[in-house]
Amino acid sequence: MLYDGGIAKIKFDMEPIKSPEITDSTQRKYTEKEYQEMPDELVWKFFCKGNEFAFNYIYKNYASDIFSFGYQFCGDSHLVEDCIQNVFIYLRRKREKLGEVKSIKSYLFRCIQCEIIKRLKERGMLVDTDQLQYKKAFNITLSPETIMIESESQEQKKRMINTALDKLTVRQRQALILLYEEEMSYSEIAEVMGFNEVKSARKLVYRALASLKEVINPF
Amino acid sequence: MDKEKNILKYKDYKLEDFLGDEYFISWVKNPKGNNNHFWDKWIAENGDKSDMVIQAASIIRSMSYEHKPSLSDKAYLEIFENVLKSEPRIDHKEKNKRQNNRSIWRSLFGLQKVAAAILLIFCAWVIIDIYWVEEEQVPVPIKWEVRENPPGIKSTIKMGDGSVVNLNANSKLSFMEKFSDSLRMVKLEGEAFFDVEKEDRPFIVDLGESQIEVMGTTFNVKNTHVGNVSVALVSGKVKVKDESGNQVILHPSEMLEINEKGKLTIATFDVREITAWKDKLLIFKNSNKSEVIQKISDWYGVVVDADEGIKDNWAYSGEYHNESLENVLEGIKRTLNIGYKISGKKVQLIKN
Repeated sequence: MLYDGGIAKIKFDMEPIKSPEITDSTQRKYTEKEYQEMPDELVWKFFCKGNEFAFNYIYKNYASDIFSFGYQFCGDSHLVEDCIQNVFIYLRRKREKLGEVKSIKSYLFRCIQCEIIKRLKERGMLVDTDQLQYKKAFNITLSPETIMIESESQEQKKRMINTALDKLTVRQRQALILLYEEEMSYSEIAEVMGFNEVKSARKLVYRALASLKEVINPF
Repeated sequence: MDKEKNILKYKDYKLEDFLGDEYFISWVKNPKGNNNHFWDKWIAENGDKSDMVIQAASIIRSMSYEHKPSLSDKAYLEIFENVLKSEPRIDHKEKNKRQNNRSIWRSLFGLQKVAAAILLIFCAWVIIDIYWVEEEQVPVPIKWEVRENPPGIKSTIKMGDGSVVNLNANSKLSFMEKFSDSLRMVKLEGEAFFDVEKEDRPFIVDLGESQIEVMGTTFNVKNTHVGNVSVALVSGKVKVKDESGNQVILHPSEMLEINEKGKLTIATFDVREITAWKDKLLIFKNSNKSEVIQKISDWYGVVVDADEGIKDNWAYSGEYHNESLENVLEGIKRTLNIGYKISGKKVQLIKN
Protein backbone atom coordinates (compact mmCIF):
# COMPACT_ATOMS: atom_id res chain seq x y z
CA MET A 1 0.00 0.00 0.00
CA LEU A 2 1.28 3.40 -0.87
CA TYR A 3 1.04 6.01 1.75
CA ASP A 4 1.11 9.59 0.69
CA GLY A 5 3.03 11.58 3.18
CA GLY A 6 1.77 14.91 1.88
CA ILE A 7 0.50 17.72 4.00
CA ALA A 8 -2.90 17.04 5.48
CA LYS A 9 -5.82 19.04 4.28
CA ILE A 10 -8.16 18.34 7.10
CA LYS A 11 -10.60 20.96 8.12
CA PHE A 12 -11.76 21.34 11.65
CA ASP A 13 -14.97 23.05 12.31
CA MET A 14 -17.33 23.10 15.20
CA GLU A 15 -20.60 23.13 13.32
CA PRO A 16 -23.13 20.89 14.98
CA ILE A 17 -24.12 17.99 12.78
CA LYS A 18 -27.69 16.97 12.29
CA SER A 19 -29.13 14.74 14.94
CA PRO A 20 -30.66 11.42 13.95
CA GLU A 21 -34.41 11.55 13.50
CA ILE A 22 -36.23 10.36 16.50
CA THR A 23 -39.47 8.86 15.29
CA ASP A 24 -41.02 5.44 15.18
CA SER A 25 -38.40 3.68 13.13
CA THR A 26 -40.87 1.21 11.66
CA GLN A 27 -42.93 3.96 10.04
CA ARG A 28 -40.35 6.40 8.89
CA LYS A 29 -39.23 6.89 5.35
CA TYR A 30 -35.79 5.66 4.53
CA THR A 31 -33.88 6.47 1.37
CA GLU A 32 -33.46 3.79 -1.24
CA LYS A 33 -29.81 3.54 -0.26
CA GLU A 34 -30.74 2.99 3.35
CA TYR A 35 -33.13 0.24 2.39
CA GLN A 36 -30.42 -1.39 0.32
CA GLU A 37 -28.04 -1.39 3.24
CA MET A 38 -30.64 -2.66 5.66
CA PRO A 39 -30.90 -6.39 6.21
CA ASP A 40 -33.88 -7.86 4.35
CA GLU A 41 -35.48 -8.98 7.63
CA LEU A 42 -35.81 -5.37 8.69
CA VAL A 43 -37.24 -4.09 5.41
CA TRP A 44 -39.73 -6.94 5.54
CA LYS A 45 -40.63 -6.19 9.15
CA PHE A 46 -41.30 -2.57 8.21
CA PHE A 47 -43.52 -3.71 5.35
CA CYS A 48 -45.41 -6.07 7.66
CA LYS A 49 -45.95 -3.21 10.11
CA GLY A 50 -47.68 -1.26 7.39
CA ASN A 51 -44.86 0.99 6.24
CA GLU A 52 -45.77 1.98 2.68
CA PHE A 53 -42.29 3.24 1.86
CA ALA A 54 -40.97 -0.23 2.54
CA PHE A 55 -43.65 -1.70 0.27
CA ASN A 56 -42.81 0.74 -2.52
CA TYR A 57 -39.17 -0.15 -2.22
CA ILE A 58 -39.90 -3.87 -2.36
CA TYR A 59 -42.11 -3.50 -5.40
CA LYS A 60 -39.73 -1.22 -7.21
CA ASN A 61 -36.72 -3.32 -6.44
CA TYR A 62 -38.08 -6.76 -7.23
CA ALA A 63 -40.94 -6.46 -9.74
CA SER A 64 -38.81 -6.79 -12.85
CA ASP A 65 -36.71 -9.65 -11.44
CA ILE A 66 -39.84 -11.56 -10.50
CA PHE A 67 -41.20 -10.97 -13.96
CA SER A 68 -38.23 -12.34 -15.87
CA PHE A 69 -38.05 -15.29 -13.48
CA GLY A 70 -41.76 -16.07 -13.76
CA TYR A 71 -41.61 -15.80 -17.52
CA GLN A 72 -39.31 -18.84 -17.58
CA PHE A 73 -42.14 -21.14 -16.49
CA CYS A 74 -44.61 -20.33 -19.22
CA GLY A 75 -43.38 -17.77 -21.74
CA ASP A 76 -46.63 -15.90 -21.24
CA SER A 77 -46.15 -12.27 -20.14
CA HIS A 78 -49.82 -11.79 -19.41
CA LEU A 79 -50.06 -14.71 -17.09
CA VAL A 80 -46.91 -13.63 -15.24
CA GLU A 81 -48.20 -10.07 -14.84
CA ASP A 82 -51.46 -11.38 -13.42
CA CYS A 83 -49.62 -13.61 -11.01
CA ILE A 84 -47.37 -10.78 -9.83
CA GLN A 85 -50.45 -8.72 -9.14
CA ASN A 86 -52.09 -11.53 -7.18
CA VAL A 87 -48.99 -12.20 -5.15
CA PHE A 88 -48.61 -8.59 -4.08
CA ILE A 89 -52.30 -8.24 -3.31
CA TYR A 90 -52.11 -11.37 -1.20
CA LEU A 91 -49.00 -10.20 0.63
CA ARG A 92 -50.51 -6.81 1.43
CA ARG A 93 -53.67 -8.39 2.76
CA LYS A 94 -51.78 -10.81 4.96
CA ARG A 95 -48.94 -8.50 5.86
CA GLU A 96 -49.65 -8.54 9.58
CA LYS A 97 -49.58 -12.29 9.72
CA LEU A 98 -46.54 -12.91 7.54
CA GLY A 99 -43.55 -14.48 9.20
CA GLU A 100 -39.93 -13.47 9.21
CA VAL A 101 -38.26 -13.27 5.82
CA LYS A 102 -34.50 -13.61 5.54
CA SER A 103 -34.23 -12.96 1.82
CA ILE A 104 -37.00 -10.97 0.18
CA LYS A 105 -35.92 -11.94 -3.29
CA SER A 106 -36.05 -15.69 -2.74
CA TYR A 107 -39.29 -15.38 -0.79
CA LEU A 108 -40.95 -13.48 -3.66
CA PHE A 109 -39.52 -15.90 -6.21
CA ARG A 110 -41.03 -18.76 -4.24
CA CYS A 111 -44.39 -16.96 -4.15
CA ILE A 112 -44.46 -16.25 -7.87
CA GLN A 113 -43.38 -19.79 -8.72
CA CYS A 114 -46.20 -21.26 -6.59
CA GLU A 115 -48.74 -18.87 -8.09
CA ILE A 116 -47.76 -19.60 -11.68
CA ILE A 117 -47.70 -23.34 -11.14
CA LYS A 118 -51.10 -23.16 -9.49
CA ARG A 119 -52.48 -21.29 -12.47
CA LEU A 120 -50.90 -23.65 -14.97
CA LYS A 121 -52.41 -26.58 -13.10
CA GLU A 122 -55.82 -24.91 -13.18
CA ARG A 123 -55.46 -24.73 -16.92
CA GLY A 124 -54.54 -28.41 -16.95
CA MET A 125 -51.18 -27.52 -18.39
CA LEU A 126 -48.91 -28.97 -15.78
CA VAL A 127 -48.12 -31.94 -13.64
CA ASP A 128 -44.82 -30.90 -12.08
CA THR A 129 -42.03 -28.45 -12.71
CA ASP A 130 -39.94 -30.78 -14.81
CA GLN A 131 -42.87 -31.31 -17.13
CA LEU A 132 -43.59 -27.75 -18.10
CA GLN A 133 -45.20 -27.49 -21.50
CA TYR A 134 -43.17 -24.42 -22.27
CA LYS A 135 -40.31 -25.81 -24.31
CA LYS A 136 -37.89 -23.01 -23.55
CA ALA A 137 -38.30 -23.15 -19.78
CA PHE A 138 -35.19 -21.82 -18.07
CA ASN A 139 -33.12 -21.97 -21.21
CA ILE A 140 -29.62 -20.79 -20.59
CA THR A 141 -27.47 -19.13 -23.16
CA LEU A 142 -23.75 -18.53 -23.09
CA SER A 143 -23.02 -15.06 -24.20
CA PRO A 144 -20.35 -15.02 -26.90
CA GLU A 145 -18.57 -11.98 -25.54
CA THR A 146 -16.43 -13.76 -23.02
CA ILE A 147 -12.76 -14.34 -22.69
CA MET A 148 -13.36 -18.03 -22.97
CA ILE A 149 -14.57 -17.73 -26.54
CA GLU A 150 -11.56 -16.46 -28.39
CA SER A 151 -11.14 -18.60 -31.45
CA GLU A 152 -13.08 -20.60 -34.02
CA SER A 153 -12.56 -23.85 -32.16
CA GLN A 154 -13.94 -22.14 -29.10
CA GLU A 155 -17.04 -21.32 -31.06
CA GLN A 156 -17.55 -25.03 -31.46
CA LYS A 157 -16.94 -25.53 -27.78
CA LYS A 158 -19.61 -23.01 -27.01
CA ARG A 159 -22.05 -24.98 -29.11
CA MET A 160 -21.17 -28.11 -27.18
CA ILE A 161 -21.79 -26.38 -23.87
CA ASN A 162 -25.09 -25.04 -25.10
CA THR A 163 -26.14 -28.53 -26.15
CA ALA A 164 -25.10 -29.90 -22.76
CA LEU A 165 -27.09 -27.14 -21.04
CA ASP A 166 -30.16 -28.06 -23.07
CA LYS A 167 -29.84 -31.64 -21.89
CA LEU A 168 -30.05 -30.66 -18.22
CA THR A 169 -33.39 -30.94 -16.47
CA VAL A 170 -35.46 -27.79 -16.07
CA ARG A 171 -34.79 -27.78 -12.34
CA GLN A 172 -31.05 -28.11 -12.85
CA ARG A 173 -31.07 -25.15 -15.24
CA GLN A 174 -33.24 -23.22 -12.84
CA ALA A 175 -30.73 -23.81 -10.04
CA LEU A 176 -27.83 -22.65 -12.23
CA ILE A 177 -29.72 -19.53 -13.28
CA LEU A 178 -30.54 -18.71 -9.67
CA LEU A 179 -26.91 -19.22 -8.71
CA TYR A 180 -25.28 -17.23 -11.51
CA GLU A 181 -27.76 -14.83 -13.02
CA GLU A 182 -29.78 -14.09 -9.89
CA GLU A 183 -26.72 -14.31 -7.64
CA MET A 184 -28.48 -16.31 -4.98
CA SER A 185 -26.90 -18.31 -2.19
CA TYR A 186 -27.62 -22.00 -1.80
CA SER A 187 -29.99 -21.34 1.05
CA GLU A 188 -31.93 -18.88 -1.10
CA ILE A 189 -32.03 -21.39 -3.94
CA ALA A 190 -33.34 -24.02 -1.52
CA GLU A 191 -36.10 -21.63 -0.50
CA VAL A 192 -37.15 -20.83 -4.07
CA MET A 193 -37.15 -24.47 -5.07
CA GLY A 194 -38.96 -25.64 -1.99
CA PHE A 195 -36.21 -27.76 -0.48
CA ASN A 196 -36.20 -28.20 3.27
CA GLU A 197 -32.45 -28.53 3.34
CA VAL A 198 -29.80 -26.36 1.79
CA LYS A 199 -27.75 -29.38 0.85
CA SER A 200 -30.44 -30.48 -1.60
CA ALA A 201 -29.82 -27.24 -3.50
CA ARG A 202 -26.08 -27.90 -3.49
CA LYS A 203 -26.63 -31.44 -4.75
CA LEU A 204 -28.79 -30.22 -7.58
CA VAL A 205 -26.13 -27.73 -8.69
CA TYR A 206 -23.29 -30.23 -8.32
CA ARG A 207 -25.17 -32.76 -10.39
CA ALA A 208 -25.71 -30.16 -13.11
CA LEU A 209 -22.04 -29.16 -13.03
CA ALA A 210 -21.01 -32.83 -13.17
CA SER A 211 -22.96 -33.23 -16.42
CA LEU A 212 -21.25 -30.14 -17.81
CA LYS A 213 -17.80 -31.14 -16.61
CA GLU A 214 -16.72 -32.88 -19.80
CA VAL A 215 -17.56 -30.02 -22.09
CA ILE A 216 -16.35 -27.13 -20.00
CA ASN A 217 -13.04 -28.52 -18.83
CA PRO A 218 -10.10 -27.66 -21.05
CA PHE A 219 -7.55 -28.81 -18.49
CA MET B 1 -8.56 -18.46 11.00
CA ASP B 2 -11.35 -19.29 8.62
CA LYS B 3 -9.56 -17.57 5.81
CA GLU B 4 -6.42 -19.62 6.31
CA LYS B 5 -8.47 -22.76 6.01
CA ASN B 6 -10.10 -21.41 2.85
CA ILE B 7 -6.79 -20.65 1.21
CA LEU B 8 -5.79 -24.28 1.65
CA LYS B 9 -9.18 -25.57 0.58
CA TYR B 10 -9.04 -23.78 -2.75
CA LYS B 11 -5.60 -25.19 -3.60
CA ASP B 12 -7.10 -28.50 -4.73
CA TYR B 13 -10.09 -27.00 -6.45
CA LYS B 14 -11.02 -28.06 -9.93
CA LEU B 15 -12.91 -25.93 -12.41
CA GLU B 16 -16.29 -27.37 -11.45
CA ASP B 17 -15.53 -26.83 -7.76
CA PHE B 18 -15.01 -23.14 -8.39
CA LEU B 19 -18.22 -23.06 -10.40
CA GLY B 20 -20.17 -24.34 -7.41
CA ASP B 21 -18.51 -22.20 -4.75
CA GLU B 22 -20.69 -19.38 -3.39
CA TYR B 23 -17.78 -17.40 -2.06
CA PHE B 24 -16.04 -17.49 -5.42
CA ILE B 25 -19.21 -16.67 -7.36
CA SER B 26 -19.94 -13.70 -5.18
CA TRP B 27 -16.48 -12.32 -5.91
CA VAL B 28 -16.87 -12.85 -9.65
CA LYS B 29 -20.21 -11.06 -9.57
CA ASN B 30 -19.03 -8.27 -7.29
CA PRO B 31 -15.28 -7.93 -7.64
CA LYS B 32 -15.42 -4.75 -5.60
CA GLY B 33 -17.16 -6.46 -2.72
CA ASN B 34 -15.93 -7.41 0.71
CA ASN B 35 -13.96 -10.49 -0.21
CA ASN B 36 -11.90 -9.01 -3.02
CA HIS B 37 -8.79 -8.83 -0.85
CA PHE B 38 -8.98 -12.54 -0.26
CA TRP B 39 -9.18 -13.36 -3.95
CA ASP B 40 -6.57 -10.84 -5.03
CA LYS B 41 -4.20 -12.47 -2.62
CA TRP B 42 -5.19 -15.97 -3.56
CA ILE B 43 -4.66 -15.41 -7.25
CA ALA B 44 -1.32 -13.79 -6.58
CA GLU B 45 -0.22 -16.81 -4.56
CA ASN B 46 -1.58 -19.41 -6.94
CA GLY B 47 -0.43 -18.17 -10.32
CA ASP B 48 -0.65 -21.65 -11.84
CA LYS B 49 -4.39 -21.65 -11.22
CA SER B 50 -5.07 -18.26 -12.72
CA ASP B 51 -6.17 -19.69 -16.09
CA MET B 52 -8.65 -21.92 -14.35
CA VAL B 53 -9.95 -19.06 -12.26
CA ILE B 54 -10.40 -16.86 -15.31
CA GLN B 55 -12.17 -19.69 -17.11
CA ALA B 56 -14.50 -20.29 -14.17
CA ALA B 57 -15.19 -16.57 -13.84
CA SER B 58 -16.04 -16.26 -17.51
CA ILE B 59 -18.45 -19.20 -17.39
CA ILE B 60 -20.17 -17.74 -14.34
CA ARG B 61 -20.48 -14.37 -16.02
CA SER B 62 -21.67 -15.67 -19.33
CA MET B 63 -24.52 -17.92 -18.20
CA SER B 64 -27.76 -16.03 -18.48
CA TYR B 65 -31.40 -16.37 -19.38
CA GLU B 66 -31.88 -17.10 -23.06
CA HIS B 67 -35.12 -15.17 -22.96
CA LYS B 68 -35.22 -12.34 -20.53
CA PRO B 69 -38.14 -10.12 -21.39
CA SER B 70 -38.53 -7.16 -19.10
CA LEU B 71 -41.67 -5.93 -17.47
CA SER B 72 -43.00 -3.05 -19.55
CA ASP B 73 -43.26 0.30 -17.81
CA LYS B 74 -46.94 0.28 -18.45
CA ALA B 75 -47.50 -3.11 -16.83
CA TYR B 76 -45.20 -2.11 -13.97
CA LEU B 77 -47.37 0.89 -13.15
CA GLU B 78 -50.67 -0.86 -13.75
CA ILE B 79 -49.86 -3.75 -11.45
CA PHE B 80 -48.72 -1.32 -8.78
CA GLU B 81 -51.90 0.72 -9.04
CA ASN B 82 -54.13 -2.35 -9.09
CA VAL B 83 -52.40 -3.72 -6.03
CA LEU B 84 -52.97 -0.50 -4.10
CA LYS B 85 -56.52 -0.16 -5.41
CA SER B 86 -57.46 -3.67 -4.36
CA GLU B 87 -57.55 -2.72 -0.70
CA PRO B 88 -59.25 -3.40 1.59
CA ARG B 89 -61.32 -5.85 -0.41
CA ILE B 90 -60.18 -7.54 -3.53
CA ASP B 91 -62.31 -8.29 -6.45
CA HIS B 92 -60.67 -11.28 -8.04
CA LYS B 93 -62.97 -11.26 -11.03
CA GLU B 94 -62.01 -7.81 -12.11
CA LYS B 95 -59.55 -8.60 -14.82
CA ASN B 96 -57.45 -5.70 -15.74
CA LYS B 97 -57.30 -5.14 -19.44
CA ARG B 98 -53.74 -4.64 -20.17
CA GLN B 99 -52.81 -4.10 -23.74
CA ASN B 100 -50.69 -6.71 -25.28
CA ASN B 101 -47.58 -4.73 -25.25
CA ARG B 102 -45.01 -7.10 -26.66
CA SER B 103 -42.23 -7.04 -24.23
CA ILE B 104 -39.09 -5.21 -24.97
CA TRP B 105 -36.11 -7.48 -25.04
CA ARG B 106 -33.34 -6.30 -22.92
CA SER B 107 -30.13 -5.98 -24.82
CA LEU B 108 -28.00 -8.35 -22.84
CA PHE B 109 -25.19 -8.29 -25.29
CA GLY B 110 -24.22 -4.74 -24.50
CA LEU B 111 -24.12 -5.55 -20.83
CA GLN B 112 -22.04 -8.64 -21.36
CA LYS B 113 -19.51 -6.71 -23.35
CA VAL B 114 -19.11 -4.21 -20.60
CA ALA B 115 -18.89 -6.99 -18.01
CA ALA B 116 -16.17 -8.78 -19.95
CA ALA B 117 -14.22 -5.56 -20.37
CA ILE B 118 -14.49 -4.81 -16.69
CA LEU B 119 -13.26 -8.29 -15.83
CA LEU B 120 -10.26 -7.90 -18.12
CA ILE B 121 -9.37 -4.51 -16.75
CA PHE B 122 -9.82 -5.82 -13.25
CA CYS B 123 -7.52 -8.81 -13.81
CA ALA B 124 -4.90 -6.56 -15.36
CA TRP B 125 -5.21 -4.17 -12.48
CA VAL B 126 -4.82 -6.97 -9.93
CA ILE B 127 -1.62 -8.14 -11.58
CA ILE B 128 -0.19 -4.67 -12.06
CA ASP B 129 -1.07 -3.72 -8.52
CA ILE B 130 0.62 -6.78 -7.05
CA TYR B 131 3.88 -6.27 -8.92
CA TRP B 132 4.02 -2.56 -8.43
CA VAL B 133 3.55 -2.87 -4.76
CA GLU B 134 6.40 -5.34 -4.58
CA GLU B 135 8.84 -3.41 -6.70
CA GLU B 136 8.15 0.20 -6.12
CA GLN B 137 6.78 0.54 -2.68
CA VAL B 138 8.71 3.16 -0.84
CA PRO B 139 7.81 2.94 2.79
CA VAL B 140 6.61 6.33 3.84
CA PRO B 141 6.14 6.70 7.57
CA ILE B 142 2.52 7.30 8.45
CA LYS B 143 1.98 10.67 10.04
CA TRP B 144 -0.72 10.76 12.62
CA GLU B 145 -2.76 13.82 13.42
CA VAL B 146 -3.92 13.78 17.03
CA ARG B 147 -6.94 15.53 18.56
CA GLU B 148 -7.39 15.21 22.27
CA ASN B 149 -10.30 16.57 24.28
CA PRO B 150 -9.84 17.22 27.98
CA PRO B 151 -12.81 16.56 30.28
CA GLY B 152 -15.56 19.05 29.68
CA ILE B 153 -14.72 19.76 26.03
CA LYS B 154 -16.31 18.15 22.97
CA SER B 155 -15.40 18.73 19.36
CA THR B 156 -16.45 17.99 15.84
CA ILE B 157 -13.83 16.89 13.35
CA LYS B 158 -14.36 16.85 9.63
CA MET B 159 -11.90 14.65 7.80
CA GLY B 160 -10.47 14.82 4.32
CA ASP B 161 -12.80 12.12 2.97
CA GLY B 162 -15.90 13.98 4.17
CA SER B 163 -16.49 11.79 7.21
CA VAL B 164 -17.50 13.63 10.35
CA VAL B 165 -16.48 12.58 13.83
CA ASN B 166 -17.98 13.98 17.02
CA LEU B 167 -15.36 13.47 19.68
CA ASN B 168 -16.61 13.38 23.24
CA ALA B 169 -14.90 14.93 26.22
CA ASN B 170 -11.98 13.08 27.75
CA SER B 171 -11.30 11.31 24.45
CA LYS B 172 -8.53 11.10 21.91
CA LEU B 173 -8.68 10.53 18.17
CA SER B 174 -5.63 9.96 15.98
CA PHE B 175 -5.92 9.75 12.25
CA MET B 176 -3.68 9.63 9.22
CA GLU B 177 -2.79 13.07 7.97
CA LYS B 178 -3.85 11.88 4.59
CA PHE B 179 -5.67 8.61 4.13
CA SER B 180 -3.91 6.06 1.98
CA ASP B 181 -5.25 4.93 -1.38
CA SER B 182 -6.69 1.74 -0.01
CA LEU B 183 -7.66 2.46 3.53
CA ARG B 184 -8.90 5.05 5.97
CA MET B 185 -7.71 4.47 9.47
CA VAL B 186 -8.24 6.21 12.79
CA LYS B 187 -7.39 5.32 16.38
CA LEU B 188 -9.74 6.07 19.21
CA GLU B 189 -9.52 6.27 22.95
CA GLY B 190 -12.71 7.32 24.69
CA GLU B 191 -15.98 7.98 22.92
CA ALA B 192 -16.88 9.24 19.46
CA PHE B 193 -19.79 9.29 17.06
CA PHE B 194 -18.82 8.55 13.47
CA ASP B 195 -20.68 9.55 10.35
CA VAL B 196 -18.57 7.85 7.73
CA GLU B 197 -18.69 8.89 4.11
CA LYS B 198 -19.40 5.89 1.92
CA GLU B 199 -16.66 4.93 -0.50
CA ASP B 200 -14.70 1.87 -1.56
CA ARG B 201 -11.85 2.35 0.87
CA PRO B 202 -12.76 0.68 4.13
CA PHE B 203 -12.81 2.92 7.18
CA ILE B 204 -11.17 1.29 10.18
CA VAL B 205 -11.42 2.41 13.78
CA ASP B 206 -8.60 0.94 15.81
CA LEU B 207 -9.46 0.59 19.49
CA GLY B 208 -6.26 -1.15 20.42
CA GLU B 209 -7.67 -4.55 21.17
CA SER B 210 -10.51 -4.47 18.68
CA GLN B 211 -11.00 -3.00 15.24
CA ILE B 212 -14.15 -1.77 13.62
CA GLU B 213 -14.40 -1.86 9.87
CA VAL B 214 -17.04 0.00 7.94
CA MET B 215 -17.82 1.39 4.50
CA GLY B 216 -20.38 4.13 5.00
CA THR B 217 -22.44 4.29 8.12
CA THR B 218 -23.19 6.11 11.37
CA PHE B 219 -22.29 4.63 14.72
CA ASN B 220 -21.18 5.39 18.22
CA VAL B 221 -18.07 3.92 19.82
CA LYS B 222 -17.18 4.04 23.48
CA ASN B 223 -13.89 2.69 24.67
CA THR B 224 -13.33 3.16 28.38
CA HIS B 225 -9.92 3.09 29.94
CA VAL B 226 -10.89 0.01 31.91
CA GLY B 227 -11.07 -2.00 28.70
CA ASN B 228 -14.79 -1.94 28.04
CA VAL B 229 -15.78 -1.34 24.44
CA SER B 230 -19.24 -0.64 23.13
CA VAL B 231 -20.18 -0.12 19.50
CA ALA B 232 -23.70 1.08 18.72
CA LEU B 233 -24.76 1.09 15.09
CA VAL B 234 -27.31 3.66 13.91
CA SER B 235 -27.30 2.97 10.18
CA GLY B 236 -25.34 0.94 7.65
CA LYS B 237 -23.26 -2.04 8.57
CA VAL B 238 -20.15 -2.49 10.65
CA LYS B 239 -17.81 -5.34 11.28
CA VAL B 240 -16.03 -5.59 14.63
CA LYS B 241 -12.97 -7.75 15.10
CA ASP B 242 -11.42 -8.36 18.49
CA GLU B 243 -7.86 -9.33 19.25
CA SER B 244 -8.59 -13.06 19.34
CA GLY B 245 -9.92 -12.92 15.79
CA ASN B 246 -13.62 -12.97 16.62
CA GLN B 247 -15.72 -11.13 14.10
CA VAL B 248 -19.16 -9.71 14.56
CA ILE B 249 -21.32 -7.99 11.97
CA LEU B 250 -23.74 -5.49 13.42
CA HIS B 251 -27.03 -4.41 11.91
CA PRO B 252 -28.73 -1.08 12.55
CA SER B 253 -29.94 -0.53 16.11
CA GLU B 254 -27.70 -3.25 17.46
CA MET B 255 -25.03 -2.57 20.04
CA LEU B 256 -22.03 -4.75 20.67
CA GLU B 257 -20.37 -4.70 24.07
CA ILE B 258 -17.03 -6.23 24.83
CA ASN B 259 -16.19 -6.35 28.52
CA GLU B 260 -12.69 -6.23 29.97
CA LYS B 261 -12.52 -10.03 29.95
CA GLY B 262 -13.21 -10.08 26.21
CA LYS B 263 -16.76 -11.36 26.45
CA LEU B 264 -19.05 -10.19 23.62
CA THR B 265 -22.72 -9.37 23.95
CA ILE B 266 -25.12 -7.91 21.41
CA ALA B 267 -28.23 -6.02 22.45
CA THR B 268 -30.52 -3.42 20.99
CA PHE B 269 -30.17 0.13 22.21
CA ASP B 270 -31.92 3.45 22.44
CA VAL B 271 -30.39 5.63 19.71
CA ARG B 272 -31.32 8.80 21.50
CA GLU B 273 -29.75 7.77 24.77
CA ILE B 274 -26.51 6.55 23.26
CA THR B 275 -25.93 9.42 20.85
CA ALA B 276 -27.43 12.23 22.91
CA TRP B 277 -24.08 13.52 24.04
CA LYS B 278 -23.17 14.73 20.57
CA ASP B 279 -26.28 16.90 20.50
CA LYS B 280 -25.34 18.40 23.84
CA LEU B 281 -28.01 16.36 25.58
CA LEU B 282 -27.01 14.99 28.95
CA ILE B 283 -29.22 12.03 29.77
CA PHE B 284 -29.43 10.00 32.94
CA LYS B 285 -31.56 6.89 32.83
CA ASN B 286 -31.95 4.99 36.10
CA SER B 287 -28.36 5.84 36.87
CA ASN B 288 -26.78 4.98 40.21
CA LYS B 289 -24.54 7.35 42.11
CA SER B 290 -21.27 6.33 40.50
CA GLU B 291 -22.71 6.56 37.00
CA VAL B 292 -24.06 10.04 37.71
CA ILE B 293 -20.74 11.17 39.12
CA GLN B 294 -18.81 9.69 36.21
CA LYS B 295 -21.05 11.42 33.67
CA ILE B 296 -20.91 14.79 35.38
CA SER B 297 -17.12 14.67 35.76
CA ASP B 298 -16.62 13.80 32.08
CA TRP B 299 -19.23 16.25 30.86
CA TYR B 300 -18.11 19.32 32.82
CA GLY B 301 -14.51 18.39 33.48
CA VAL B 302 -14.87 18.59 37.23
CA VAL B 303 -13.90 16.35 40.10
CA VAL B 304 -16.93 15.15 42.03
CA ASP B 305 -16.79 13.89 45.58
CA ALA B 306 -19.69 12.69 47.69
CA ASP B 307 -20.13 12.67 51.45
CA GLU B 308 -19.67 9.24 52.91
CA GLY B 309 -23.25 8.91 54.07
CA ILE B 310 -24.68 9.15 50.53
CA LYS B 311 -25.74 5.75 49.28
CA ASP B 312 -25.01 4.38 45.81
CA ASN B 313 -28.48 2.97 45.14
CA TRP B 314 -29.83 5.93 43.12
CA ALA B 315 -32.04 5.35 40.12
CA TYR B 316 -31.79 8.86 38.81
CA SER B 317 -33.35 9.85 35.50
CA GLY B 318 -33.16 13.27 33.93
CA GLU B 319 -32.36 15.13 30.72
CA TYR B 320 -30.47 18.37 30.31
CA HIS B 321 -29.97 20.13 27.05
CA ASN B 322 -26.89 22.29 27.05
CA GLU B 323 -27.39 23.18 30.71
CA SER B 324 -24.88 24.58 33.15
CA LEU B 325 -23.35 22.42 35.86
CA GLU B 326 -25.35 24.29 38.47
CA ASN B 327 -28.68 23.58 36.80
CA VAL B 328 -27.88 19.89 36.55
CA LEU B 329 -26.86 19.76 40.20
CA GLU B 330 -29.99 21.70 41.14
CA GLY B 331 -32.09 19.03 39.39
CA ILE B 332 -30.32 16.22 41.15
CA LYS B 333 -30.54 18.03 44.46
CA ARG B 334 -34.31 18.36 44.22
CA THR B 335 -34.92 14.77 43.17
CA LEU B 336 -32.57 13.06 45.57
CA ASN B 337 -32.75 15.44 48.48
CA ILE B 338 -29.04 16.10 48.73
CA GLY B 339 -27.00 19.28 48.76
CA TYR B 340 -23.96 20.35 46.76
CA LYS B 341 -21.15 22.85 46.74
CA ILE B 342 -19.13 23.98 43.75
CA SER B 343 -15.68 25.36 44.31
CA GLY B 344 -13.74 25.93 41.10
CA LYS B 345 -13.29 22.59 39.41
CA LYS B 346 -14.47 20.66 42.45
CA VAL B 347 -17.97 19.56 43.36
CA GLN B 348 -18.92 18.19 46.73
CA LEU B 349 -22.24 16.34 47.14
CA ILE B 350 -23.51 16.94 50.65
CA LYS B 351 -25.72 14.66 52.73
CA ASN B 352 -28.76 16.49 54.06
